[in-house]
Amino acid sequence: MIDIKNVAMKFDLGIEKNFSFKQLFINILSFGVKKKKKSYFWALEDITFHVNRGEVIGLIGSNGAGKSTLLKVVSGVMKPTKGKVQVNGTIAPMIELGAGFDSELTARENIYLNGAVLGYQKDFLDRKFDEIVEFSELRDFLDVPVKNFSSGMVAKLAFSIATVVDPEILIVDEILSVGDIKFQEKSRNKMMEMIKGGTTVLYVSHSLESIEELCNRVVWLDHGHIKMQGDTKEVCEAYYLEQMGETMEESNRRRKKEKKEK
Amino acid sequence: MNTIKNIIGNFKHYSFLMQQLIARDFKVKYKRSVLGILWSLLYPILMMSVMAIVFSQMFKFRVEGVNYLVYLMTGLVMFNYFSEASNSAMTSVVNNFALMTKVYIPKYIFPIAKCLFVGINFMLTLIPLLAIILFTGNAAEGTKCVINVWYLLLPYVFISMIVFTMGLGLLLSCISVFFRDMFYIYGIVLTIWNYLTPVFYDVSILPDYARTIMNFNPLYIFITTARDIILYAKCPAPEMLLSCGLIALGTLLVGSFVFKKNQDKFIYYA
Repeated sequence: MIDIKNVAMKFDLGIEKNFSFKQLFINILSFGVKKKKKSYFWALEDITFHVNRGEVIGLIGSNGAGKSTLLKVVSGVMKPTKGKVQVNGTIAPMIELGAGFDSELTARENIYLNGAVLGYQKDFLDRKFDEIVEFSELRDFLDVPVKNFSSGMVAKLAFSIATVVDPEILIVDEILSVGDIKFQEKSRNKMMEMIKGGTTVLYVSHSLESIEELCNRVVWLDHGHIKMQGDTKEVCEAYYLEQMGETMEESNRRRKKEKKEK
Repeated sequence: MNTIKNIIGNFKHYSFLMQQLIARDFKVKYKRSVLGILWSLLYPILMMSVMAIVFSQMFKFRVEGVNYLVYLMTGLVMFNYFSEASNSAMTSVVNNFALMTKVYIPKYIFPIAKCLFVGINFMLTLIPLLAIILFTGNAAEGTKCVINVWYLLLPYVFISMIVFTMGLGLLLSCISVFFRDMFYIYGIVLTIWNYLTPVFYDVSILPDYARTIMNFNPLYIFITTARDIILYAKCPAPEMLLSCGLIALGTLLVGSFVFKKNQDKFIYYA
C-alpha cells in the first residue's frame, strides 16, 4: 500500500540569505576568507519501511524527529531529496486542517473550497454537505464569514470536512483534540471509527496510550533516522524508557554541545 | 500519448478545485461592495470612458481613416487583460504558499486559475466594447465598424492571447519564487511594455527601426490581428494568424517546462 524506500530529505538552511544583494556584497568583500558553514540539514535519512493494506502504523519520536516531514513526503506535499515513495490508493491527509480556508468566505462557501482543496469532487460534496454541517454543529452559522468564527468553531468545521471521506489511506497528525469537550469526544470517536474501519493508517501521536491502543506496528524516528520499528509494545516501551531515562544532567550536556556546534 | 492522457485526467480531476478558486476570487473581490459583481461590468465601462475622453478629446489622438474610439478600446481591453492576468498569475504561487505546504495540489493550478479568472473579466469587458463598436463611428466618413464574418476568428485570437499569458504567468510565477525582486521588476517591465505596444497610437508614427522591433512584441501581433478584423473588416494576414497560435503554444510550452522542472523546489523557498 505504502512503500517507502531509502527516503532522505534535505533542507537547505541557507536559502533565506543566499541570493540577496547584501550577501553578494559580503561575499565580494570577504573573498578568500570564506568560512565553510554547514548550511543544510537532513530532516530524514535512509527511511525504509512498508505499510500493508489495513495496517495501522504509529509514528513516534520527539519534536523535530522528522515525523511531520515524513507525513508530508508520503502525502506528496514534498518530494524526497533521495529515495522513492510509492503510494497505491487515495490519501486523506489530516496533517493540517482547514488548508485553504478563506476567512472572508462563509462556512458554506468554505466547505466547498476546502473540500476542493482536499481533492473532493462537487457531487461528493453535494451529497455529504448535510453530514458535514451536522457533524460540525454549525448549522446556524452556515452563512457567516469564517473570520467571525471562534478558533474552536473553525477547527470543528475543518475537522468535519476532513473526516467526511472514506479514504483508502489515512494520514493523521495528532489533531484529535479540537473544539470543546463534547466535540473532542465526538471527534475522537470519529477518528477511531475511521482508523478501525479497516483503512490503512499512518498515525502520528505523542500519546503512547492511543498509539498502543490503535497501532499494529510502530516506527520510532529519532533525528531523521529510524531508531526502531516493530511490535507496538516493545517500541513504545523502549521509547518511553529512553525519553524518561535521559536525566537532567545528560540533557544539559547535550544542549551545551549543540550550542557549541552552532 | 500516455502523458497527454495523464494531463487531461489531471485537469478533469482538478477542474472543480480550479472552479472553486476562481469563484473565491470573485466572491472575495466583491465582498461587501454595494454593486457587487456589477463592478466587473461597470469598472471597465468607466475606465474606458475616462480613457476615451483623455485620448480622443483632450489629446486629440486619431488614427487615419478609422474609428479612433474602437481603435483605442480594442487595444486597451486586450492589453489590460494581459497586464492584469500576467501580474496576478506571477504572484499567485507565492501567495498560496501556505496552502502548498499543507496539502498536495498541483501548483500550476494557481497561475492558470488567475489567468482564467481575469479572462472572465476580460470577456465581460467585451460587452461595452461591442456597444462602442455598434454605436459610435460615422458611416459617411467611413469610420463605422461593421460586424463581419471574420469575427469568427476573434475567439482564436483572444484564446491565443490568454494561452500566451498563461505561459508567461507560469514562467514568471516560477521565477518569482526564487527571485522575489521579480515582483517589482515586472511592474516596471509592464509599464514599458504598455508604451511599446500601440494601444493609443498608431505604428505609423514610429521610426522604421521601432516598427521592426514591434514585430517581436506578441501583444502587438494579437492586438493588430484583432484590429484588422474589428476595424478594417478584413481577414488578417495568414502569417499574423499563424504567429498568434505559435506564440501562444511556444510560450505555454516554455512556461510549463520551466515550471515543471522547478516546482518541486518551490516548497523550500516558502
